Amino acid sequence: MNVLVAENLSKVYGSKRGVQHKALNQFKLAVEKGEFLGIMGPSGSGKTTLLNILATIDRPTAGNVVINGKNVHSLSKNKLSKFRREEMGFIFQDYNLLDTLTIGENILLPLTLLGEKVKEMEKKMVPITKQLGIDTIINKRTYEVSGGQMQRAAIARAIIHDPTVIFADEPTGNLDSKSSLKVMEAFSTLNKIRQTTTVMVTHDPFAASFSERVIFIKDGKLFNEIHRGENRQTFFQDILNVLSLLGGNTDDLQTIRF
Amino acid sequence: MTFKQFAFNNVKRNTRQYLSYFLSCMFAVTVFFMYAVVVFHPDIKGTEFRDIVQLAIILSEIIIYGFSFLFVLFSTGAFIKSRKKEYGLLTTLGISKSQLNRMLMLENTIIGVASIVSGLLLGALLTKLFLMVFSQVLGINQILPFYLSLKAIGLTAVLFFIMFELNSLAVVWTLRTNSIMEVFRGSRGPKKAPKFSSFLSILGVCFVGIGYYLAYVSDVYTIFIYMIPILLFVVLGTYLLFTQFSIAFIQLLKRKKGLYFKNLNLLTVADLAYKLKDNAAILFMVTTLSAVALTASGVLFSLFHGVEAEAERFVPQDVSLISKGENNLEAFQKEVAFIENSFKKKDIAFAQKQVQSVQTKLGSGNDYWNDVHVQIYAYSDYQAISRLHGKNVPFHVNSEEAIVLFPEYARQTNRWALPSELTIAAKNKSVRLPVEPAMSNLNSTIYSSFNIVVSDQLFEQFRQTAAESEIINAYSMNIPNWTSYIPETEQILSNIDSEEVYPDSQADYYLKMKDGMAYLFFFGIFISVLFFLAAGSILYFRMYRDIDNDLHHYHSLYRIGLTDQEMRKIATRQLVFLFFIPFLVAVVHAAFAFKALQNMIAASVLVPSMIIILFFFVVHLINFFFIRNVYTAKLKKVM
Repeated sequence: MNVLVAENLSKVYGSKRGVQHKALNQFKLAVEKGEFLGIMGPSGSGKTTLLNILATIDRPTAGNVVINGKNVHSLSKNKLSKFRREEMGFIFQDYNLLDTLTIGENILLPLTLLGEKVKEMEKKMVPITKQLGIDTIINKRTYEVSGGQMQRAAIARAIIHDPTVIFADEPTGNLDSKSSLKVMEAFSTLNKIRQTTTVMVTHDPFAASFSERVIFIKDGKLFNEIHRGENRQTFFQDILNVLSLLGGNTDDLQTIRF
Repeated sequence: MTFKQFAFNNVKRNTRQYLSYFLSCMFAVTVFFMYAVVVFHPDIKGTEFRDIVQLAIILSEIIIYGFSFLFVLFSTGAFIKSRKKEYGLLTTLGISKSQLNRMLMLENTIIGVASIVSGLLLGALLTKLFLMVFSQVLGINQILPFYLSLKAIGLTAVLFFIMFELNSLAVVWTLRTNSIMEVFRGSRGPKKAPKFSSFLSILGVCFVGIGYYLAYVSDVYTIFIYMIPILLFVVLGTYLLFTQFSIAFIQLLKRKKGLYFKNLNLLTVADLAYKLKDNAAILFMVTTLSAVALTASGVLFSLFHGVEAEAERFVPQDVSLISKGENNLEAFQKEVAFIENSFKKKDIAFAQKQVQSVQTKLGSGNDYWNDVHVQIYAYSDYQAISRLHGKNVPFHVNSEEAIVLFPEYARQTNRWALPSELTIAAKNKSVRLPVEPAMSNLNSTIYSSFNIVVSDQLFEQFRQTAAESEIINAYSMNIPNWTSYIPETEQILSNIDSEEVYPDSQADYYLKMKDGMAYLFFFGIFISVLFFLAAGSILYFRMYRDIDNDLHHYHSLYRIGLTDQEMRKIATRQLVFLFFIPFLVAVVHAAFAFKALQNMIAASVLVPSMIIILFFFVVHLINFFFIRNVYTAKLKKVM
């Protein structure tokens, strides 16, 4: 069953009179329930634009996004905010944790906004923080913990209210390789246990190798798509191969210069 | 691009960033200038002020300058520090410390000069406006004509130029650029959790409590002793209240999980703790300024408003004429006739009563009561005069006693404790009688310290035996609605030309008090309004400066999925707290000050103080809505 379907998405930047830039061009995408999808592509390929549109933070110039059977871009701004809060979880490169709250409070924030009871909240928080290995730091402040811990807290926050789909934007972008490994392992385990649909944009082939399917974008269009087999190592190699193909394209360089 | 051009372009092209800083500097100039204009006004200089008033004016000028100095120092410091990141960039490009200092000084000078010029212009405009409004409110046609003296302009410009240079020197001096990394991070680093000490929180509450108690129990005599302790306790207590108690209170709130984790409370409260901590000093300053403004203008307005009541208290009879000596009766009658005719001519209704009294002396073992001149009145005469003024006589006198009449203001002191018996002695007659005190319905006169009421028979005996010079003719007049005829009354009474006839009237007292208080009132309200404006603007500039940081915060919230309204709700609630907590505390402070005032004067201060509080509240509310709209308009940009 497809949870998220994008049809003919286009996004054009720039005014009608001036220079126009097509960040996305007739893009199609379908994500199944429980799937872990990775999106990769060189800078300027339109992958962040795609994620922002799927996550309803940005609006497409043309095309539809249907999540859980709902055409999200036809919703009003207010309803969209509420939809985002209830049906989606977000993980950002800069963690996006609030400095004024403790780690635990940050994790509970989505539940608070949904108006859950305090007992229920705490019941939900305990297993997730244990799985992510951050149950010992929930009373700490953001400046007292490491980047990897902050990102795991952000994952906990994204997942605690059982959203339909989680969007991750470069989740390992600010982390060293050791923290990346921990974060991605925790992330993919949680994804398997909870069967949460996940869409992740990343530069990092290592992080991408944790997903089940990776699509590659170039110039706002689908370039390639590979599926993961049994072995993560071979998948990692496959991703590197596609990337070198992408990067080695001389046409690509030209368009960037243009 | 020369170095100077670089500095100039920095200012010119970063208008938005510099704007709030520029506005706060300009505002300080405006405040000082408005005051200087009034101080250097030829009419004020020409007025015969007593030394103490002159001193007060100079003192408040120094206070305003000192206050502006701190204000500008604070804004400069905050502004320069908020740009640390920029200096980090410049440092990586190889700017030297001395070049950086030069750049900052140059920029500050540009802003300083610009704010002096615009501050002078705004000040001139506002002064004109203020004088107009004030004359209107006071009912005095044009208390001061509009006049700009060169001296005021010169003084303001020079003092503020020095101030800007000194302040930027001080700030540049203290600016530490330890490592580029540190500078790069700037003020954006995550903030430490707010801490508080429970001891200091409790101490703060106690201090304020003690101050309040002292104000509550003070009276005319003790207030002079209590004044300084009250001020110290309340100011110190307020400071602790904002820096410690507010944080303690929020931590307590956080422990109530059911409440804390409910909807938006989590976000509002957690952020508010930081906001309160960050702004504690400012909130304290705003509270103190507002409390001073409220108290000063409330007290002055109450006094001004209470002049009518005070006139009736000190001068119970609307108009009284008095003359000594039986031989003067004819001249006295002539004046009475003249006055009555004059009132009739002006169509002013009145009722009158003329009586005689006898001047005597008191004798007693008590020094206070020995050899005191008094006038004795017959009970029926006293009753008639009292009725004339619509007052009752609550006592009755038989021939074996006398009633000593006390003016109301003398009753509060123990000094005049009445002995049980007094000797009343005229030239040819003397009696010793038991005495009782009562409230006087008569004006005090130049012939005697007190009036005494005796029975009609006894009075008749005194009158029969009195010497010619002991007889006193007393004429009393009641003018219904006397406050409407004050100028007429004053004019008629001033036409009395007989040297032996002494008039006294409520109108006279009223005018003297009102004239005497007009300037005091003017200065008081003027400074209060300035203080209050300063308090409001401090909040405004603070908000304006923090907006960028807040936008970052709200952007995080937006990405998580908060709606437009919810964010506006959080912002509004926080602004309400930051705005109205200081105001509320200031109102409570002022309320206790008004209570202390009430202990001293007769007229009720409730209505005038309510009017003042309401007035300031409305000003504050307008200010609040203005800032809230600016703030939420900015929030919209996030989305």
